[in-house]
Amino acid sequence: MENLKSSKKKTMRFLAISLIVLIVICVSALSAFAWVVSKKNESTLNSVGELYMHGMSERISDHFGTTISLRMDQVEAMVRSFPPDEVVATEDTYNGLIEQAKICEFSSLALCDDNGKFEVLYGDALEMIEPISFFNSLNSGEEKVGVARTQAGQKVMILCVPAKYPMPQGGTASALVAAVSADYIRQILALDATDLLTYSHIIRHDGTYVIRSVDKEKDNYFERALENLSEFDGKTPQIYLAELRDSMEAHEDYSAIMIMDNERRHLYCTPLPYTDWYLITVMPYGMLDETLSSLSEQVLICLFISLGVILLVLFIIFAMYFRMTQKQIRELEDTRREAVRANKAKSEFLSNMSHDIRTPMNAIIGMTAIAVANIDNKPQVQSCLKKISISGQHLLGLINDVLDMSKIESGKMTLSVEVVSLRETVENIVSIIQPQVKAKSQKFDVFIYDIENENVYCDSVRLNQVLLNLLSNAVKYTPEGGSISMSLREEKSPKGDNFVRMNICIKDSGIGMTPEFKEKIFDSFTREDIKRVRKTEGSGLGMSITKYIVDAMGGEISVESEQGVGSEFRVVLDMERADVFEKEMVLPNWNMLVVDDDEQLRCSAVAALNSIGVSADCAPDGETAVEMLKKRRGKPNDYKIILLDWKLPGMDGIETAREIHKQFGNDIPILLISAYDWSDIEDEARAAGIDGFISKPLFKSTLYLGLRKYVGEEYTDNGHTDEEIRFDGLRVLVAEDNTLNWEIASELLTSQLGVEAELAENGQVCVDKFKNSPVGYYDAILMDIRMPVMNGYEATEAIRASGREDSGVLIVAMTADVFSEDIDKCMKCGMDAHVAKPIDINAIGRLLHSHLGK
Amino acid sequence: MLLKECYERIGGDYDGVLSRMISEATVKKFAVKFLSDKSYDLLISSLENADLKEAFRAAHTLKGICQNLGFNMLFGSVDPLTESLRNADAPPPKELVEAVKRDYEKTVSAIAMLDE
Repeated sequence: MENLKSSKKKTMRFLAISLIVLIVICVSALSAFAWVVSKKNESTLNSVGELYMHGMSERISDHFGTTISLRMDQVEAMVRSFPPDEVVATEDTYNGLIEQAKICEFSSLALCDDNGKFEVLYGDALEMIEPISFFNSLNSGEEKVGVARTQAGQKVMILCVPAKYPMPQGGTASALVAAVSADYIRQILALDATDLLTYSHIIRHDGTYVIRSVDKEKDNYFERALENLSEFDGKTPQIYLAELRDSMEAHEDYSAIMIMDNERRHLYCTPLPYTDWYLITVMPYGMLDETLSSLSEQVLICLFISLGVILLVLFIIFAMYFRMTQKQIRELEDTRREAVRANKAKSEFLSNMSHDIRTPMNAIIGMTAIAVANIDNKPQVQSCLKKISISGQHLLGLINDVLDMSKIESGKMTLSVEVVSLRETVENIVSIIQPQVKAKSQKFDVFIYDIENENVYCDSVRLNQVLLNLLSNAVKYTPEGGSISMSLREEKSPKGDNFVRMNICIKDSGIGMTPEFKEKIFDSFTREDIKRVRKTEGSGLGMSITKYIVDAMGGEISVESEQGVGSEFRVVLDMERADVFEKEMVLPNWNMLVVDDDEQLRCSAVAALNSIGVSADCAPDGETAVEMLKKRRGKPNDYKIILLDWKLPGMDGIETAREIHKQFGNDIPILLISAYDWSDIEDEARAAGIDGFISKPLFKSTLYLGLRKYVGEEYTDNGHTDEEIRFDGLRVLVAEDNTLNWEIASELLTSQLGVEAELAENGQVCVDKFKNSPVGYYDAILMDIRMPVMNGYEATEAIRASGREDSGVLIVAMTADVFSEDIDKCMKCGMDAHVAKPIDINAIGRLLHSHLGK
Repeated sequence: MLLKECYERIGGDYDGVLSRMISEATVKKFAVKFLSDKSYDLLISSLENADLKEAFRAAHTLKGICQNLGFNMLFGSVDPLTESLRNADAPPPKELVEAVKRDYEKTVSAIAMLDE
């Protein structure tokens, strides 16, 4: 139990730790994954942003370039249509220029001289915002784009194409200037489109705005940047500006991520063509970041859900695994405990057994010593020998049990099924158990109910063993004066019409057993280990052997027991019927009276009598019986024989007999149904006029054999039923190699049975004589087993295989062997029966009678 | 010597044999015939020739005769010898053979002393 607990604890701890480790690993792996993904997201976003910004800026800058170049072309076209060299300062020229400018939707048109003085031809007056650099490049003869302010203060973009037109107010202009509203440019470049992700400014070299998307308070982008930028990624605003300026100097694109107004923004700066201006495009990451973070949030949520699911599944698997291992551990533990228990039982058994063996052994040795010391004292030696014999028997019993058990445990016990007479079996058992019962002054009864089939197929030795085991246990565990009963009841068997179900019940009023012991009574090597039982000896194997035999016979055994009240063993066996010369058991149609107080026994006896042709009535007690006799007296249906139970309520059997004799004379035979040993009451009974005894149990054959002698009026008074049977004229072949044995057999067969005996010196001669005889010549063969040339087994087989009509002739084995294996072998090779030596001529007579029906 | 006396001397079951054979004359006839029975000689010679199979058969026969005639003492020593010879592959212990020889001599000598 400790082991189980600690191992359970260990497993628990192991599982808990693994689960925690697993959770930690999963969580950290997922967190790392989420972190990496978010980092990757950012960097991907940055590079996407950069690409986007680059493309965007390029597009805007191209667009700007294209627009400006288109406008420039328009202005140049104007110049070309009025070549300055040929132009005289006439109204027509100016008007022509104005006309074209209007067509091209320029907001103003002016001429400009080297000093930057504008002479407006059309539209609002203009004033340069950054005249110096503008004029520098203009003077170098380049086309130029600049910014000017109208008188109304509006910003316009001016396109200048060098052209030496005469100015209206004298002088020569150096360039033709056309203005386009800054709003136009802004629209074209979509600088202030609010639905875009980005917004742009155009700034000059020094940071001042040329055009800006939204009005901002500062005029200089750099100043604004300095104010609004925060430090990011280790870069101060100053560093950003320095980098930006450097790229602007170098006319290169600049791309950077920064924090402005507490928001991450991407800035892209690219120079614009035709100008010294730079396009600054800014993309705030705000919205993108939001989208992205919501995306990664979702990813994370998904991840955690899947993590949860995985963990849950893992937990379930762990839990199931845990339960499985727990179960296995428990089973293992159970098996172990069972093994330990069995082992303990065996060693206990060994020690008990050794003790049990030592006790009779000591007695044998001690008694032998006493006998040796008193070798001349005959009575004492005899008593010693008697005790030695008893101890030896006891020892033999113990050893037989152990041998049986080892046979059973090694699976070697087999049943040899043969025809068994239940009557003989019960009578045998009763005669064996009777002395023990008497010695303990116990009351013993056998009840037979409804036994139709006395002959069944069964292993008689094993059946005897079962009944003896149960009965001797009952005797052993029942105190002096207690009562023991055995009952047999026949029922229909569920196995079919060829079978009968035998219910055997053995009941005692003994010490009973504890419920715990009842549970394991049929286990091997157990004996109830309490003081009151200690002194009762035994191997403790009897019940398990019994149980095994009953199981092997396909039956069931059960036990009911209460301590101090008694035990009841029930054995249920399904046995095959054996119909052996039952037809012979017929008595004349007498009227009989059965007097017994046990109703079932009474009815059973009546039924048995009816089945052998007797019409029987019954009475429950002596008084009723006398009444019934009175009614029938002198009538044709007068009772022929009366069966009286000895023990009756009121008048007992003997008193009833006396009464009957007194009233009706003694011409009605009265038989006393008595328990088993009537020697105690015989004298009294005879004196009371009892004519004979029939011993319980009342099998059909018991009744038949007991009543047979009253057939044909001339009944005799002697209780002996063994009448002489003669077989005059019967021819028997005796296979016997020993002359002396042959002579004895021949003498007895001839003189006592009237049988004609012929000799066969060995098996071979026997077979030859049989084969050379006319069919049916020999009525039976008595076969010795051990013979030279051919033994009895072989001879039997040869005769059975001879193919003659009479090859089934009665063959009786006759041998000095008494081992059941030998008897088995006899039966197996085809013999019909077996008699042991010394030759008992009566036994042979009975065999001939039963097999030949004579 | 009377038959009953003789049976007592050779440890025989006089009542048993008488009940089987009914008359004393029959018993006596067969008891005397035992003197000329060859089973014992066959047993001894087989043992000398180490023919264990034949020895077993002879012992078995002798055992059967002892049972039939109720020679219980001789049976008591022949029976263990028979068993030790059953399926034997080694000669039986000397003591068993000696016991049979001793009891046989006793039996035979007692029968020889029977009155006519």
